[in-house]
Amino acid sequence: MVRSIAKKEFISTLRDSRFMALSILVLLLLLAATIVGLQSYKNLQEERMVAQQTVNEQFANAADRHPHRMAHYGSYAFRPKSGISFLDFGLDSYTGSSVYMEAHRQNSANFSQAQQSTSLIRFGEMTVAFVLQMLIPLLIIFLCFGAFTQEKETGTLKILLSQGISVRELAWAKIAGYSKVVALVVAPALLLVSILQFGRGGFEADGDVFIRLLLFILSYLLYFFIFIVLSVVVSALHQRSATALVSLLGIWILACVIIPKATANLGAGLYTTPTRAWMDAEVHEEVKKRIDGHNSNDERAEALKQELFKKYGVNSLEELPVNFDGIWMAAGEEQSSRVYGEHFDELTAIFEKQNNISEYAGLFNPYLAVRHLSMGAAGSDFSHYVHFLKEAEEYRYNQTQKLNQIQATQLKYGDKETRLSTDTWKAFEPFTYETPDAGWVLKNHVVSVAALLLWLVLVSTAGIKLIEKIKVA
Amino acid sequence: MNIVLEARELRKQYQDKLALKGLNLQIQAGEIFCLLGQNGAGKSTTINLFLGFITPTSGAAYINGLEVASNVTRVKEYLAYIPENVMLYPNLTGLENLSLFSSLAGFKYAEEELMHYLVQAGLPAEAAGRRVGGYSKGMRQKVGIAIAVAKHAKVLLLDEPTSGLDPKASNEFSELLLKLSDAGTAIFMATHDIFRSKAVGTRVGIMREGELVDVLPAAGLEASELEKLYLNHMHV
Repeated sequence: MVRSIAKKEFISTLRDSRFMALSILVLLLLLAATIVGLQSYKNLQEERMVAQQTVNEQFANAADRHPHRMAHYGSYAFRPKSGISFLDFGLDSYTGSSVYMEAHRQNSANFSQAQQSTSLIRFGEMTVAFVLQMLIPLLIIFLCFGAFTQEKETGTLKILLSQGISVRELAWAKIAGYSKVVALVVAPALLLVSILQFGRGGFEADGDVFIRLLLFILSYLLYFFIFIVLSVVVSALHQRSATALVSLLGIWILACVIIPKATANLGAGLYTTPTRAWMDAEVHEEVKKRIDGHNSNDERAEALKQELFKKYGVNSLEELPVNFDGIWMAAGEEQSSRVYGEHFDELTAIFEKQNNISEYAGLFNPYLAVRHLSMGAAGSDFSHYVHFLKEAEEYRYNQTQKLNQIQATQLKYGDKETRLSTDTWKAFEPFTYETPDAGWVLKNHVVSVAALLLWLVLVSTAGIKLIEKIKVA
Repeated sequence: MNIVLEARELRKQYQDKLALKGLNLQIQAGEIFCLLGQNGAGKSTTINLFLGFITPTSGAAYINGLEVASNVTRVKEYLAYIPENVMLYPNLTGLENLSLFSSLAGFKYAEEELMHYLVQAGLPAEAAGRRVGGYSKGMRQKVGIAIAVAKHAKVLLLDEPTSGLDPKASNEFSELLLKLSDAGTAIFMATHDIFRSKAVGTRVGIMREGELVDVLPAAGLEASELEKLYLNHMHV
């Protein structure tokens, strides 16, 4: 029974020229978004790889310098694009792509695409995720709004039920038929994505990309299924197709436009982020109170000196087997980094609280749940951005401390003239960044995964129960 | 007596309206029972109660000896239903519509068998492969009859099936009903058409405000007499 009705829905839809035209349009948009996204990904990835290689070479081949000059010379960390970020640009277009790593300062990431684009980018980009999140649900609504209302309006519902099929079986049959139609629209694009990814060796180079793609696809399949069941339920609860369509469009506007904006505003209202100027001033004030690596006349420097004299059994800085300037610089770096780190953590915590409101709102809105999961799988969410910043900071800190260590062990106290050869810089490991694995993504978005599963259970149980209670006559 | 359709003190109350007032009725296999009545008299309510689409307030409806309310799915095996306007699925052909509805009833037919049922119901063979969206109402009603026949239903419930049909199509439809009746199918037809009731009916019932006020054998009754009786009942 279920198979027959599902087949009928599938064939009927394929023969509906208006729906097919709409489907072809959406499919073309998906394919175009895939190809454009991939091209943009390739360009950006290549740009960043070349830039990273260039700055790495520049650092390794830097002229003979004093190690502390080299610490100020610094380096850059360019954020590589995640394997499937071409499917969902997420926050990538708005977050910076490179961090200047130097001594004493924790710089924020700069050069986002948004900074370098016209204001048109604010209207959003045509990505695969945009089509999947916003347009496919619309397509599903146009496909399913008449699922039951049309049967009621034409009287076929009574004939169907008089043949012995139950309302429940009919609902599932329709859901199966519509799922097949949606798969027909979405599958070619997802197949193309997989082929393109496979073709450029994405899976061979990194098995994690395959898992991320699988997570991405599964999230959307769940999302579409939820929308299909929801649309069929709404259709069953209405008597007229027009009112069912209006209700479903209302749900779409609420879920895909109003609630996401409202939760973002709510988050920003509840957890206010400090301004950049305030933050910088705060950090500056705090750092001033700590050890200044450039000022060895500080009273805290005196205490450290005494500690070192005691440790090495000497009475003057010149007698110390280590260069006090380097030790003092390292102590200053440790403290200023701690201040920067604390402020960075505070700021990140505020952003995370804002994001949590949106993530938890996914329990009431599957659109938000899939949006977070999609960005997570694509590696373009806030967590991935913070992960990169932390990695860059760790590298910056270690590099600076290594240079301080060189100053402390290879140069004498007060020596500001010695220049170390370029071979010293060549021994430094260049910055490399590894995107965290899919397990990390799932851990970060466990609420969104739970939200989608809850929605699935809710519409498949409570929704179908509601359908069973509809009045046939 | 082989009673396949029965109502015992069947009542249906809709909030402040008593739509059916204790209907008692027995219809045998091969009998055509025509139920006449104005709009809102309770004809469709009676059919919906036999179909199990609504539950009775009291009393019971029986199909082939099974109480409908407690055997909603099982009784569907024995009955077929044709509404006033059989719309079917416009994007499917006549053959595909028949195949779909037959499969829902548990019958899988080969294309030749489906074609046989459609032609038997009076649908031209060349129309069977065309989409139903282009069919006339009469043609759709014939597909509806084919669906009922292909189901081998013991009871056929018809809700004003000839309404809107031209006289030729109406006549063809009546012929089909008589054939089904001869084959042993019990037919319950709610209608406004007094002359058609007289022409095909075994018995004719007159319903007014939810009450079966008269039941007459059609044989030996002139159409004009039936009309007079009907109008008398309506003007009480």
